[in-house]
Amino acid sequence: MVLRFGSVLQEMSDDQLKIYERALKRERAARKQAEAILEKKSAELFALTQELTKSNRKLEKLVLEKTSRLKGVFHNIIDAYVVMNIRGDVLEMNEAATKLFGYDLAIEPINVVSLIYKADLKYAMDSYNQLLEHGFFTNYRARIFTKDKQIRWVHINASLIYDEHKKAIGAQGIVRDITENQLSAGIIAEQQKKLSAIVDYSSLAIILTQDGRIIQTNRKAQELLQFTESELIDLHVKDISLKDDHDISVNLMNQMNQEGLDHFVVKKRYIKKDGSKVWAKTSVAAVRNEDGSILYQVALIEDITEQIKNEEDRQSLMQRLEKSNDELQEYAHVVSHDLKSPLRSIYALVEWMKEDNIDSFDQATLQNLALIESTLEKMELLISDVLSFSSVSSGEKKLAPVDINELIEEIRQTHFFPKHISLVIKRPLPTLNVDRVRVLQLFQNLISNAVRYIDKTEGLIEVDAVEKGAFYQFSIGDNGIGIEKQYHQKIFKMFQSLNKSKESTGIGLAIVKKIVDNHQGDIWLESKVGKGSTFFFTLRK
Amino acid sequence: MTLYGLYYKRSKTMKELKILLIEDDTIEVMKLNRAIKKLEMSHQLIEARNGEEALKILKEDKNLPDIIFLDLNMPKINGIEFLRILKTDEVLRFLPTIILTTSNNQKDMLECYQVGIAGYILKPLKYDDYVYKIGKTLDYWSENELIKII
Repeated sequence: MVLRFGSVLQEMSDDQLKIYERALKRERAARKQAEAILEKKSAELFALTQELTKSNRKLEKLVLEKTSRLKGVFHNIIDAYVVMNIRGDVLEMNEAATKLFGYDLAIEPINVVSLIYKADLKYAMDSYNQLLEHGFFTNYRARIFTKDKQIRWVHINASLIYDEHKKAIGAQGIVRDITENQLSAGIIAEQQKKLSAIVDYSSLAIILTQDGRIIQTNRKAQELLQFTESELIDLHVKDISLKDDHDISVNLMNQMNQEGLDHFVVKKRYIKKDGSKVWAKTSVAAVRNEDGSILYQVALIEDITEQIKNEEDRQSLMQRLEKSNDELQEYAHVVSHDLKSPLRSIYALVEWMKEDNIDSFDQATLQNLALIESTLEKMELLISDVLSFSSVSSGEKKLAPVDINELIEEIRQTHFFPKHISLVIKRPLPTLNVDRVRVLQLFQNLISNAVRYIDKTEGLIEVDAVEKGAFYQFSIGDNGIGIEKQYHQKIFKMFQSLNKSKESTGIGLAIVKKIVDNHQGDIWLESKVGKGSTFFFTLRK
Repeated sequence: MTLYGLYYKRSKTMKELKILLIEDDTIEVMKLNRAIKKLEMSHQLIEARNGEEALKILKEDKNLPDIIFLDLNMPKINGIEFLRILKTDEVLRFLPTIILTTSNNQKDMLECYQVGIAGYILKPLKYDDYVYKIGKTLDYWSENELIKII
């Protein structure tokens, strides 16, 4: 081509040639430049391509990773995970979901609506609308039916799934089985309900306080104090307490605050709304924080106005009884004195008649005068015994330990025992906490009775005692005349002497019975006529 | 019959006593009189039927008795009330007062001893016993050194 150009050139003028030459020169330079640029660009492009391939590979790997990781999450998530289309047809479920609902997606299609517990349907629909509107819902709590028609409580957080055009095409939800929680929450709520029912219907007034301020009260507290619940909440404990009584409880309250006293009971008066007072037994317990500081105090208040009144009534009754007992005792003494005095006078007068007429009275008259005297003696004994009987029940009992062995010895020393009668203690007798004077009288009467009715040439009186639970059972046996069965009850009654004798008034055994009764014991006897009698009685240990 | 006065030998130091008997019962007064006589004692007996009369006697008589025998059961001022009055008097409080009664009421006895008595004699039923007791009591007081109050 260059040769062909040469031949052409020979035919051109020099000027023309020169122009061509310059143009060609320029053209060459431009091409060279373009080639350089092109070369540079293509090198750049190559580098870029290399780079891109590398990052693409990386990206692919990343995506792959993410997908498998997601798949892992999807399958391993403990909570049930459900994907559904916008109509509610379930597209995908993880194992937990399959287990929870009991449906296997591989076998049968499910629509979530069929899972909804009917009573919760409206709530479910509202939540679904919220999902559509805002793209998500959280904290959905409702019941569902499982395939085998069991009811489970579930908690669901859900969100919409969009396609590339931002159009909602489905939804995904994480479903947690909260049946157990719900049940225990239900139990707690139920317990709370029960507890508040107990508190509210308690027959004790209950007041919760904090630093002396009333923070809660129950029905009974309101009823007792005549304030409404809200009125009470504005009040301080001192507002409803009598000042003197309040000072005492403040003192105890301080001990509770400072010295860790956990509980105390006081009897104090409260002031009702109408100003009247009510006596109450108040039992205060501290409820503490973990650091030991007091959170609040619970006061259980029992209205004891009635109780106190009863106690006062009882006391005044006791006092009246004591007084009338004393009066009776006094009366018995006066009567016995008034009855005894004339006996003394008659006795003296008879004696003087005898003295003054010692020479003129015949034997019969003297005998009659002697009969008057013995009658007077009998009368005197009777009065003494009646007085003694009436004294048994009255007067305060002076209980003290008494050694019964010593008591028997005292009787042995101070009483007359005919030579042919022996008094024997069969085994050591106990020491009892009793009224000494009365118990001495008891043994004395029984032993002197035994002495009186012994008709054998060798008389024997045996005293014995055996333990019987909370009691000691004593026995005093004799080998005297004995008592017929029909009289075994009667002899303990007043004036029931079986043998009219000079020493017997028929009151001795009545006194014995009364003393045993007063010691919460029992008395009875066993006897064989002609062989002897044994009196048994019990005395509390 | 054993009469006290017949076998008992009296000592030479024995004094004759001036006794004020406060007793409302006529026969009781007779009893003491007869007993003193029977015992062949030469004590002087002044009789008062009740507490008021006794107080009158004690206020008027410049020659006060050596001892007082006092019955507890009397109308108006009873024995214990009389005793209390006696014990508040500057002079009369020194008079030994012996209770002579049929009542052995524990309450009365405690009260009497608390207020201040010189003895508490229970009147027995039998007259001989009575004479015996009175004899012993009077003998005892005859042997006592008594203060003369002016």
